[in-house]
Amino acid sequence: MTPVDIEVIRNALTAAAAEMDVTIWRTSRSTIVRELLDYSTAVFDADGWNLAQSARIPQHLNSMSAALRTLLERFVPAAEWGADDVVITNDPYCGGQHLPDILAFRAVYHDGVRIAFVGALCHHIDVGGLAAGSYASKATEIFQEGLRIPPVKLIENGVRNDAVWRIIGQNIRKPDLLLGDLTSQIASLEMGRAAIARLATRYGAPAMLEASRRILDMSEAGMRAAIAAMPDGSYEFADQLDDDGIDFGKPIHLRVKLTIAGDSATVDLSACSPQVQGPTNATLASSNSAVMFALMSAAGTGFAMNAGCYRPITVIAPEGLVVNARAPAPVAHRVAITHRLLNAMYGALHQAVPERIPAAYYGCSYVTTFQTIRDDGRRDVLVEIEIGGSGAAPHKDGVNAYASGMHNNSNIPIEMIEAQMPLSITRYALLPGTAGDGQFRGGLGLVREWRMDAARCLFTSNMDRFHSAPYGLAGGGAAAPGKQMLLRDGQATDIPPKSDNIPLVQGDILRLETSGGGGFGAPTARDTTTRETDRRMGYV
Amino acid sequence: MQADTRPVRIAVDIGGTFTDLQILDARHGRVVAWKTPTTPADPSEGLMTGVREAAARFGFALSDVGLLLHGTTIATNAVLERKLARGVLITTAGFEDVLEITRHVRRDIYGLAPDPFPCLIPRDRRLGVRERMRADGSVEVALNIGDTLARLAALQPEAVAVCLLHAYANAAHERALRDAIAAAHPDLPVSLSSEISPEIREYERSSTVVLNAVLVPVVRAYMQRLSARLGQDGFSPRVFLVQSNGGVCGLDMAGEQPARLLLSGPSGGALAASRIALELGRPNLVAVDMGGTSYDVSVVQDGAVSIITQGEIDGLPVRLPMVEMRTIGAGGGSLARVQAGGRLTVGPESAGARPGPVAYGRGGTEPTVTDANLFTGRLDAEFFLGGAMKLDMGATRASLERLGAALGLSAEDAADGVLTLTNANLAAAVRLSLFEKGLHPKDFALLSFGGAGGLHATEVADEMGITEVIFPREPGTLSAYGIMFSDLKQDIARSRLFTLGDAALPGINALLSELRAEATARLAREGMTAELSVGVDMRYHGQAFELLVPWGDVSAPDATALAQLAARFHAQHKQRFSYAAENEAVEIVTLRVTATGRLPRPEPTPPTRADRAAVKGTRRIHAHGAWHQAVIWDREALGADDIIEGPAIIEEAFATHSIARGWTARLGAAGAIIAKRDAP
Repeated sequence: MTPVDIEVIRNALTAAAAEMDVTIWRTSRSTIVRELLDYSTAVFDADGWNLAQSARIPQHLNSMSAALRTLLERFVPAAEWGADDVVITNDPYCGGQHLPDILAFRAVYHDGVRIAFVGALCHHIDVGGLAAGSYASKATEIFQEGLRIPPVKLIENGVRNDAVWRIIGQNIRKPDLLLGDLTSQIASLEMGRAAIARLATRYGAPAMLEASRRILDMSEAGMRAAIAAMPDGSYEFADQLDDDGIDFGKPIHLRVKLTIAGDSATVDLSACSPQVQGPTNATLASSNSAVMFALMSAAGTGFAMNAGCYRPITVIAPEGLVVNARAPAPVAHRVAITHRLLNAMYGALHQAVPERIPAAYYGCSYVTTFQTIRDDGRRDVLVEIEIGGSGAAPHKDGVNAYASGMHNNSNIPIEMIEAQMPLSITRYALLPGTAGDGQFRGGLGLVREWRMDAARCLFTSNMDRFHSAPYGLAGGGAAAPGKQMLLRDGQATDIPPKSDNIPLVQGDILRLETSGGGGFGAPTARDTTTRETDRRMGYV
Repeated sequence: MQADTRPVRIAVDIGGTFTDLQILDARHGRVVAWKTPTTPADPSEGLMTGVREAAARFGFALSDVGLLLHGTTIATNAVLERKLARGVLITTAGFEDVLEITRHVRRDIYGLAPDPFPCLIPRDRRLGVRERMRADGSVEVALNIGDTLARLAALQPEAVAVCLLHAYANAAHERALRDAIAAAHPDLPVSLSSEISPEIREYERSSTVVLNAVLVPVVRAYMQRLSARLGQDGFSPRVFLVQSNGGVCGLDMAGEQPARLLLSGPSGGALAASRIALELGRPNLVAVDMGGTSYDVSVVQDGAVSIITQGEIDGLPVRLPMVEMRTIGAGGGSLARVQAGGRLTVGPESAGARPGPVAYGRGGTEPTVTDANLFTGRLDAEFFLGGAMKLDMGATRASLERLGAALGLSAEDAADGVLTLTNANLAAAVRLSLFEKGLHPKDFALLSFGGAGGLHATEVADEMGITEVIFPREPGTLSAYGIMFSDLKQDIARSRLFTLGDAALPGINALLSELRAEATARLAREGMTAELSVGVDMRYHGQAFELLVPWGDVSAPDATALAQLAARFHAQHKQRFSYAAENEAVEIVTLRVTATGRLPRPEPTPPTRADRAAVKGTRRIHAHGAWHQAVIWDREALGADDIIEGPAIIEEAFATHSIARGWTARLGAAGAIIAKRDAP
């Protein structure tokens, strides 16, 4: 096969991932999937290595391969995986990430040969557990976090396993939404399968397998060349999380030691904090995804992002640390670990390639969950994930309110929320003064306020960076930390960032203020006209 | 419209470089084309020059022109170049930043130095006003204009956009604001979100109304310049402007709602495609337009161009109906490169007009698609643009040798590879446009136009299993030809949530008769009778995105009509997304009425044949790893009995077409060349 054939096939596989993406977007039911866009789709080779990705969520994309490989090695051997089987799981200790993320995979066969897998991951609105949204911040065991679905054939030989379907529906707060979204996931797998099967009809199974191998080899070569261009050496950096929500005020340390040697990189995470009681833990697959994303984004462009890029990278992370938690540790807020790990990785990479790495972004998924309860008992759930400002780059300002780093969410239209449940948004604005100063300023964080219109509401939040601020680089200032408060009867009361099931009543307003991004370069070097513009725009 | 006895109608398409005219004179029925340079500072100047030149050349008087159908990128270019009015946005207080916060999601997930999303009204010109509507249209906080007018005046605006929360459900506050502004500033144009795009989702609606507002002064200024030219030397045709939705509108409407012109560029090509679908009796066409930098795909199904309800310009959402078009960055100027890890890629980077392909000899060193076409013999170095421009084969060869060396391939194989990869990318775009609607390529013919489209068409069709390719005449000015046959079209939509069922019938009927009355009245303003068609945005309960389901000319739907609508929705959902959920609740989110006012449709006479030999000679072309002899044909001299067997090349002044091995082409109706795949 020529380089031309390989590129034709690679483009077609990327198009297949995009087609799967559109299917979920257009047919899904819950606001978290259809508006917030918290899902990803990807294509894998016959051994489960990621070949092509949709442009969705980095946290998902670079961990789905690990999940599929775990399924194949430990739960559903390839030989037992039929052409019309769909395997799902959400169990972090069986290849998943945290319980709201349900992974669904299907194998693609041609002439009886397995040539690929297709996969779709959706962050579902609720999978049960002690708080709506399954994002409880006080869980101390995974059993409190919701329904655990072990790897199971939801569809076997084309027939849906109704018992599994009913068990899921019985254990969650919004079965119509979750099962609707799961239907979209399955439909997207069929779209992806059909696209790859068309390709195989033309090229044949052996060529598809060879192309897969070479696509990964080329990305590996590209990644190795990029690493080789970085100066050899060891670079250390530490950043921290506020706490785990249980041991208040006890920081969790993310310490990385990045070693560049020739065309390989080793990332030693051994000095990170031991795993914690609260759900601020991550499995190794989650942590790896942050390390891979950091190095892949720092490596620049020119090669395709896929599992070939992982090969030059070794991660050292003993079990029992926050970056490699042991069952049954709770892991709902694993993205807190990966955001901070990414911040730490960029801090280390800044020493190696200072012209390329931005100051810290807000580094947090601001997860707020509202369960409204009307007088007649009707319950609705809203999960929102807000963002802050991006970090200033070495040659330009950060962007105000910009989805950065490990996640990549959209927001939910205010008019959609208000049309569907008894909640009002009373303010949604950029927040001046939240960005780090510098020759280049960080992007601004934002403020959002929710007012309870139902008789009762339970509020849960799981977030971080309320104490440890996003750092600046090269003399740039840190951004402001986040804040959250309850406005009731004209009084403002701070609400801790990790809070479960806080009872709210009609008229209460919950206010969230997010961090901006750190600044880059000395503030004294900032141009005076730019400062004047900042003042005129009310950014400072 | 009262009968107009003036015999000449002119369609004009103003592009970046050339203003294309098509002139139809009813006295002899011939359609003729004319081209004149575009005058970017005031495009109406070039338009008038073109009209005068054409009148002199083709022998008609300016007073003979009864109708001028005007395609314009004036709104589009104003946005792309940011030559816009100084706008102020008024929002519900507390939501002034919605326009800048956008919907967040980033597109380049691995990028480390992102640019902000574009935002046309900066923070210091966004004003909040105290008021609040609820989702059901009830008033929670009455409008309190306060010092808004004073703050507005201090900002010295040239245009105002108003977007209040839930204004799609109740427009009272937006209208009251407009009245108050009009009382203080009678000449200041005000655009209301409830009039421009009364649909749910505040960011998308804000973006649309802001675009509209900052375009009003720009488009009105153009209208004035254009109107000033009308009346000179007896030139006083009725003028209509091409909108994004594939129809035309009068000048007043264009001046009030210029956002409807924003994506009108594709309309001309799409109109031409539907016209050709009719002329050739091919109801299903996928139309592809390939130029120097981009490849545009649109779909004609059952004779109608496919329409979407939201598009985008320069990253800014526009929530208005428009012709659906998929654009990828692939054209004659797309650069072929070898990337890290030995990957060959073509595009999306383009050599543009400067330096352009290596063959142009303007300093380009990296090979482009055009270079690959030249090197493999598909283009003639001596007959590019009809011989107006000589191409540099030596430089092209050297650039492809360098590319090949980096891949371990000969220059021939490298050039073949560039074309194969390009064709695969083009085919992928076509395939996605069809598959995402659940359509199959085998049911479609490929309509190829644009300067570069014909070089790739049969090979792209081969990639997809399409067995018929149509090359219309004058592929470089086809948009103007399409505009010639356009009709007046007005879309009116309103978002209101109904759960599908008989209980919803009174509400649906009431809203529908309101919309129908308004649509009829709008066309009456133009002196036209309206043909109405109803479309409904529908979804399963809980979904966010709706399918646009056609409901025909329904005026007073009953239970049976509603059941038919439901059945259509389920079927469309299954075709598009592989499943339907017949037992689940279905919702109507938006009702749409499209009013069409038919302009008289003259039938042109067939073009005449040039009096010279149809075969120009032969030359070598490289394909599938070997050189082959190909016959070179002269399009203008083709006759009905000429049979063109691939591999062959057909040349005309501004385009070259390649008929691949395994294809046979003949002259068909309306001067089109029709190529068919030989039976295997």
